[in-house]
Amino acid sequence: MTIGFWRLGAAALAFGLSASALAQQKHPDFSGLYFPAVGPGMRTQTPNPLPYNDAAKKLLADYEQHFTLDDDPGRYCIWPGMPRAVWGAPFTVEIKQRPEDVSIYWEGYGMYRKIYMADHNPPKQLVPSAMGHSVARWEGDTLLVETDKLKPYPYMTRMATSSAAHVSERLHLEQRAAANGKPAQYLVDEIVLTDPKVYTEPVKIKATLQARPDLSLIEYTCTDTLWDDYLTQRGLTLPDLDALPGGDKE
Amino acid sequence: MQRTITVLLAAALAALALPAAAHHSFAVYDMTQNVEFKGVVETLKFRNPHMAMTLKHKKPDGTTETINFVEGAPANMLVRMGLDPAVIAPGQEITAFGAPRKDDPSSYFLKAIVLKDGTRFQSIGP
Repeated sequence: MTIGFWRLGAAALAFGLSASALAQQKHPDFSGLYFPAVGPGMRTQTPNPLPYNDAAKKLLADYEQHFTLDDDPGRYCIWPGMPRAVWGAPFTVEIKQRPEDVSIYWEGYGMYRKIYMADHNPPKQLVPSAMGHSVARWEGDTLLVETDKLKPYPYMTRMATSSAAHVSERLHLEQRAAANGKPAQYLVDEIVLTDPKVYTEPVKIKATLQARPDLSLIEYTCTDTLWDDYLTQRGLTLPDLDALPGGDKE
Repeated sequence: MQRTITVLLAAALAALALPAAAHHSFAVYDMTQNVEFKGVVETLKFRNPHMAMTLKHKKPDGTTETINFVEGAPANMLVRMGLDPAVIAPGQEITAFGAPRKDDPSSYFLKAIVLKDGTRFQSIGP
């Protein structure tokens, strides 16, 4: 028996579902917990070498001459930002999808990104940011996302980008076997980075996240480290409140 | 029986070594080495993006030295492995495995921790 979509729609409306909710149901729901995929052929590979243009190559050479491996922005809790954040941090990722937007929270560095749906009047963004301004639309089961308004990421050994960078993404769900042979769901993000100030050609990266509903999010504080190190430099020690008597838990 | 907890994070941590996307390269360490130290934890900074620890190690001649593990796995990774920081708090006796810095062999990356009951938390490498 075939039931036409209009009949399903009429039935849904009869049960109180709005037209917009019905439209949303036609698209995949990316909501859930994920972790960067590991295993043969799963791990995201950043192009190496990157197609830096001649000017950027000179900046890279100068950078490598003056900066060491210890001069690491990550140690100072600098967000990798887009597009690096998608695959760079081996921690849980939580995605929440609504008709008007998709919110992504990375446990690592506590990074947060909002992807606005183009058909829901996305807000404008005045100031460049690490995650930039992302606007999306559906093409069948694939979410197409365009991101600009990125602030420069001038760390030449870490896939640098300028404020002219633009990131295009195609996100879709796939079902296939995980590294342990069991069926699993993956969110595949096909990324194209263009940045004519820095690269001679578009940089393409395929990032894969595995759905991991068994995981949880753990609070990730990074700036404590900066504060700790500052106190050490100042020769200061904070009071140990836990050393006070009373209130001990079993 | 020794219990080893490595989880998929070891592979993920290795992914951090990728130069372009990673926040951190481990090339400053000689990761081929796996130096064992048995001792008592002196200080612990259980934090992100990397934990740090010092260990009072008793040498074969009876004297002691402080081993400086300047970095290890992120605190969140260790928690996800099931490591309660209380079991490696100052005063706890543990065995630690480290990789020395190439330019400062007295500083180590903390690769693994083994508790007195044999439970092993391996963050990277063998």
